[in-house]
Amino acid sequence: MLAYLIRRAFLAILTMWAVSVLSFVVIQLPPGDYITSYIAQMSSSGSFVSQQEAEALREQYGLNKPLYIQYIRWMQMVFQGNFGMALEYGRPVSEVIGDRLWLTMVVSVAAIILTWIVALPIGIYSAVRQYSIGDYIATFVGFIGLAVPSFMLALILMYLGFTLFNANIGGLFSDEFAEAPWSLSKLWDLAKHLPLPALILGLAGTAQLIRIMRANLLDELGKPYVVTARARGLAERHLIVKYPVRVALNPFASTIGYLLPYVVSGSIIVSLVLSLPTVGPLLLKALIAQDMFLAGTIVLLLGIMTVIGTFLSDLVLIWVDPRIRFEGKR
Amino acid sequence: MSRDGKGRTRREFLWDAALASGVVMGGIAPTLSLAGQAGEPKLGATLIGKLEGPEYILDPAQWPKKFGEAPMLADLVKQGKLPSVEKRVPEEPMVIKPVETIGRYGGTWHRGFTGPGDAENGNRIVSADKVLFWDYTGNKVMPCIAKGWKMSDDGRSTTIFLRKGHRWSDGQPFTANDFVFWYEDVYLNKDLQPVPHPDFMVGGKPGTLRKLDDYTVVFEFPEPNFLFVDILAGSTAMGGGQALQQMQGRTMGAYMPAHYLKQFLPKYTAKDELEAKAKAAGFDGWLSFAKSRWDWRLNPELPVLTPWKVVTPINNPTWVMERNPFFYQVDTSGNQLPYLDRINMGIAENLEVLNLRAIAGQYDLQERHTSMAKIPVFLENRSKGNYDVRLDPALNGSDATLQINHAYEADPEVAKWLLTRDFRRALSLGIDRDQLNETFWLGIGVAGSIIPAESSPYSPGPEWRKKWSVYDPKQANELLDKIGLAKKDAEGYRLRTDGKGRLRIELMTSAGSFIPHTQIAEMIKEQWKKIGIQADVKEMERSLFETRMRSNEQQISIWANDGTEVLYLFPRHALPVDPVEAKMGHPIADWYASNGAAGKAPKDPQMRKALDLFRSAGSKKTTEERYALAQEIFKLIVDEQFSIGTVGQSPATMGVRIVSKRMGNIPARQINAQHCRTPGSSQPSTFFFKS
Amino acid sequence: MTDPKDANPPAAAAEEGGAVLPASVAEERVSVATQWQLMWWRFKKHKLAMASSVIVILFYLVVIFADFLAYSDPLASEAQRSLLSPQRIHWFDNGRFDPFVYGLTGIRDPVTFKRVYTPDPEKKIRVRFFAPGFEYHFLGMIPADRHLLGVVDARAEDTLFLLGTDEQGRDLWSRLMYGTQTSLSIGLAGVSLSLFLGVLLGGISGLKGGFIDTVIQRVIEILRSIPTIPLWMGLAAALPNDWNVMQVYFAITLIISLIGWTELARVVRGRFLALREEDFVMAAELAGCGQMRIIFTHLVPSFLSHIIAATTLAIPAMIISETSLSFLGLGLRPPAISWGVLLQQAQNIQALAISPWLLIPSIPVTIVILAFNFMGDGLRDAADPYGH
Repeated sequence: MLAYLIRRAFLAILTMWAVSVLSFVVIQLPPGDYITSYIAQMSSSGSFVSQQEAEALREQYGLNKPLYIQYIRWMQMVFQGNFGMALEYGRPVSEVIGDRLWLTMVVSVAAIILTWIVALPIGIYSAVRQYSIGDYIATFVGFIGLAVPSFMLALILMYLGFTLFNANIGGLFSDEFAEAPWSLSKLWDLAKHLPLPALILGLAGTAQLIRIMRANLLDELGKPYVVTARARGLAERHLIVKYPVRVALNPFASTIGYLLPYVVSGSIIVSLVLSLPTVGPLLLKALIAQDMFLAGTIVLLLGIMTVIGTFLSDLVLIWVDPRIRFEGKR
Repeated sequence: MSRDGKGRTRREFLWDAALASGVVMGGIAPTLSLAGQAGEPKLGATLIGKLEGPEYILDPAQWPKKFGEAPMLADLVKQGKLPSVEKRVPEEPMVIKPVETIGRYGGTWHRGFTGPGDAENGNRIVSADKVLFWDYTGNKVMPCIAKGWKMSDDGRSTTIFLRKGHRWSDGQPFTANDFVFWYEDVYLNKDLQPVPHPDFMVGGKPGTLRKLDDYTVVFEFPEPNFLFVDILAGSTAMGGGQALQQMQGRTMGAYMPAHYLKQFLPKYTAKDELEAKAKAAGFDGWLSFAKSRWDWRLNPELPVLTPWKVVTPINNPTWVMERNPFFYQVDTSGNQLPYLDRINMGIAENLEVLNLRAIAGQYDLQERHTSMAKIPVFLENRSKGNYDVRLDPALNGSDATLQINHAYEADPEVAKWLLTRDFRRALSLGIDRDQLNETFWLGIGVAGSIIPAESSPYSPGPEWRKKWSVYDPKQANELLDKIGLAKKDAEGYRLRTDGKGRLRIELMTSAGSFIPHTQIAEMIKEQWKKIGIQADVKEMERSLFETRMRSNEQQISIWANDGTEVLYLFPRHALPVDPVEAKMGHPIADWYASNGAAGKAPKDPQMRKALDLFRSAGSKKTTEERYALAQEIFKLIVDEQFSIGTVGQSPATMGVRIVSKRMGNIPARQINAQHCRTPGSSQPSTFFFKS
Repeated sequence: MTDPKDANPPAAAAEEGGAVLPASVAEERVSVATQWQLMWWRFKKHKLAMASSVIVILFYLVVIFADFLAYSDPLASEAQRSLLSPQRIHWFDNGRFDPFVYGLTGIRDPVTFKRVYTPDPEKKIRVRFFAPGFEYHFLGMIPADRHLLGVVDARAEDTLFLLGTDEQGRDLWSRLMYGTQTSLSIGLAGVSLSLFLGVLLGGISGLKGGFIDTVIQRVIEILRSIPTIPLWMGLAAALPNDWNVMQVYFAITLIISLIGWTELARVVRGRFLALREEDFVMAAELAGCGQMRIIFTHLVPSFLSHIIAATTLAIPAMIISETSLSFLGLGLRPPAISWGVLLQQAQNIQALAISPWLLIPSIPVTIVILAFNFMGDGLRDAADPYGH
């Protein structure tokens, strides 16, 4: 188990490094550099950026040095917690991102939990009653979420919510709580706003999980021990839940790790449509405005949080699957 | 201060003299009624009301003697935290007669905004901090934080008179020293303002500022500058007010709170100490730190003169402003304005969400980011959302103007044609404006050239709206054939004369403007097929758009020409004269602003003529002369088609007003113009909740 | 596996449930059937997969015949027919089969500000099948002007609008045809690139093993752990804005292909690893076959079916990626027409409230994604006829 842990940890660190390189690439890609955008931004609103100021900033961000030095500079800044300045806001990037990052995670995790709740029973049912009408219908419903583009779903549901239910439109908080410090009632307010985004996001992953659950369970159900158990007279339901399902859950748990990045990605688009105070809208605006420090930092932090999440799910897997603990073949 | 025989100070004497001479009343402009003019949109007439707004009581004899205040402030006075209202309101307040009635105190105005880039959303509402202002017709100059002004006969000096007892929002006195501080410590500081600003120059020479006494400031110029009063009243770098002109690193506005900002300048505090403070706050250095401190959007501690001051800065999910207890306006009953306690703007990064919230009635008054295309949906949900829909057509001639770059060089063939008058005329004749109007303006706009609405005194008249600006592909084709572009390729597109194939013209558009410029450009591209011109539409983000323009790379860019309805105050969309933004030729603007020292002179003698005419405006003494001059300039622009207008005079920008039925003192129609800082001229400080 | 090919496979009904033929005969058929026949039989059992395959084929027919199926120039705008709702074709006129639509007069209602169209009972515009219309080049080569539907003697403003029009008065049906063509071909192009990358890297990984295998595996794991959309948004946002439509098209294809290759590589690698140990490979080696022959004659046919299944399952991701990127304004942009572009133009409140037909393009997106998924499922179930 220790070897497994070390391996996963090493991989996680490696992944984070890869994310940092990719984020850096994202920062560097557009033509011109950060300062060019900064000057354009300032000029377009009528303020001057003097030559000395521009040169000084270039020096500070190391923009006149070769790329790898810039990368090192940026990494140094990052490790000090300094993520640079956000153009449009005139504030440090970390301030601008603020709450949004972990709110992104909250929404994603809520979506995953919802996905589990929906996918598990459908997957089990599908496997047990293979090729029946029920199987087809259940699978079909599961796939709807995958097929309908999430942004379309988001806008439609938001509009329907408004016309039919006078529901609160978009956002994760009501006005009163948006600025308030964290409290129990604010948490409750958040919980009230979560279902819609979680539903939309979760639906997409549901189909995948249903398929995996179904496939795993089918594998298990064909195994000799199930036949034996049946022969020995165990009740069907008891039989299925007690053994095959639990075994089938193992790979299920490991796929959670890969579900997280998928859901975080999806949340970007959904949060754009629903105007959630998560990282999505911020990223898009940053990319479009070529506010590269903001964009690059968001990509970096998203990647890191995802890797951490995946790593945590690996730990869960260790707990769940005894085979790993005893270093058996995975 | 010495007093004359009647015991008046020199200042008071000047003030009385000014009153008597009627100069205070500014240019006597014809009072115009904007309804029922030729060319007014007929569709939507039910939603366009009568132009109205508050009036100003300028005669001190009629000013109220007793004052009232908001309950929330009265509480603070009781607790001893605020001086009494008599001490808070200036001795010479601005007395306003609201458009409907005396209002009630209280309430929070809910609005939507789209993020820190949406500062104008708040700037305009608080624009009562301008030096001078325009009334609700947009034609008469009115006092604002200055109670009056006088321009010398030779136009070289303009004197403004401040209000006695006027205080900043923190209670400190607001005097001429704040102007002097701005001028000497900021404007003349090369670190902060490297070059003089065109708005404070005449004939390429800089103006100067000095104080005569604590409440009198005089602006002086080496040459006559008869435009300067208009400049102080318009949305310009000198007259635009503290909120607009000192945000985002700007350094203009003509005054600053000296007592608060001194601590951030190296002249008054040790530079090392400043640098350390700046770094500790997360800034690069003292410069960016100082600039953030005088940015009203970001710094709740900044003293201001605006009706509301920031409580929660703009870079938060809600941007909250609360009343300024020392605001200088009162109503005719002596109640200190504003009536509304608070403004609460909620962020909606997605325009659909913002509009949906407006439809749901979550906003009390919203005219920004509401889209004309959604008018049918707004109308459908009126009773559900408990609001009214009002349309305020703007005065500018073209919401989607094809600004031709007269300094373009990169491709000599294209440059040649852009500078050929008949080519531009043909492009203009090849645009089917009625199609554009119906598709993108719901048929509400007015098709034609770039000239402002007939109701504007700067407009040369209705025949100039149609000149070269109707749909006549036959004439367009004839013109193009005549000038040497008769050869076409197999698909009917005209060929270049240098043998390099098809002639292609680039139309550059910016993403994210209020009007769908890119789609309009696509439609124009389709229309130009019929005259054999191939257009390439390139959409790009705003700052890239600006960068391209600054490096003179664009051929034709599409933008609105708002502001041209008062040509001299905001000329940048009519002529290339302002280096901050010159879509018609950045090098030319540099040349113009530097008086020939930098940039490139225009190659076209007619453009040269237009710029010379424009430059002479400052020397025209009377408003009538200036109006006539503007009309001549517009005629030249239209005849030469320096820029091609399409459809304008529409409510597309800030003209679709969603007004909660609970609000009062909301004008039926408000002027929608840049120089009036819509909705500034409607005096939002008089808005209130009826229930 | 080189079994002697059977002359004719038994009739489909015969092996379904094994009811008709005696068990021994069915078994015999199964044992002498080729791998592909076995796959086909298993695939047929999956009804949903069969139906889905038909749908996919139909969609790709649209891709080929887009010009023919469209009847209106997708870029021609006409303000007078802006935001028309879908029109009904009247098939019978006075008892005869003579399809027509009513001409429409449109005005903007001064009270509601909506465009209102009233059919003119006097004006009957005849609709014909295989009628001449705007010119195009079939398959890019053959000039033609026939379309599935067309109107007779009509002005530009008076044609047919099966699915209504958009804000600029452009016919939605025709635009949808072209949008389908673009989106599905990007999907195919993207998945081909993914396939190439996947087979290459997965194959090297599986065959060579050792250090290279470890490195490639790690790379795959890393890429799978990163949220992709932000990265691809970043890449797409970095595309120079002055690239023309074709360049953007290819760049987007490239970007989305970088999304799917990891999955394919994993499958290929897994297959190679498993097959390497198989008896038949060892037998071939002992018989003296060269590396190349082993790979192409023996290994490839074995995993081909899996590759096909995995590829089919990767296509939906491509399509959703393009749709999402275009929706964000980072992918294809007007005047290019794709599902993403069409949905982007429908992504607003006035579309939902006033002109909901603009949302119709989300239906083919959904159907195609479902179809590919079910088809891929069926293929995967059938892919290993000798296994479970």
